[in-house]
Amino acid sequence: MIEELLVYTGLGLIALGAFAQLVSGIGVNRFRNFYLRLHAATIGSIWGCVYPIAGAGLVALGYKELGPYSTFMAGAAFVTSFLVLILSPAGSHALARAAHKTRQALVEPCVHDALDPSMCVRGGGS
Amino acid sequence: MFVQEFIAAVVPLYLVATALYLYRALKGPTIPDHVLGVDLLSYNLAVLFIVLGIFFKEPILIVTAIPLALWIYALDIYVAKYLERRVMGA
Repeated sequence: MIEELLVYTGLGLIALGAFAQLVSGIGVNRFRNFYLRLHAATIGSIWGCVYPIAGAGLVALGYKELGPYSTFMAGAAFVTSFLVLILSPAGSHALARAAHKTRQALVEPCVHDALDPSMCVRGGGS
Repeated sequence: MFVQEFIAAVVPLYLVATALYLYRALKGPTIPDHVLGVDLLSYNLAVLFIVLGIFFKEPILIVTAIPLALWIYALDIYVAKYLERRVMGA
């Protein structure tokens, strides 16, 4: 009974992760500015990567046909999802900071930029 | 159990997302956009590794996802450090 429960929740998380990756893929292409694309990127990396990998770990726990290595695969999957959960925000923040400090991408749809008002392109579209 | 059929139905969605990320990774006007596209491609690849590791019942595939997750972070930090200080952190 517990195996089915684990497998179903894991598969559900993997399916939700696939949907999240699609949402993030569309968002990364439709947003106009780099800083907006960061929002879409964090969807792709947290909801689209951490949850499916944790779900795959659950599936590995409950899926008995994997043989003796099922718990090993579950452990590796949980470690990977924890690593991505910790490292992904730090990496994207470092990237955004570098992009802002070196003026790589102007803040286009901007109301007020406290860090560097000259970067703020006022009235850049809706 | 219908795990194999379910995963076979879900994997094409990940491949569509990979195509979308590849477009942004190639087109991205600024350097951070390229890096963002590559990041998302690699995250998507990490998920594919693990889901296919279960699909093919191959434990070694899951082990490859851990260094890939670390490399994505390293790429972000190297590019950020290079952009700011024009020097690649050792």
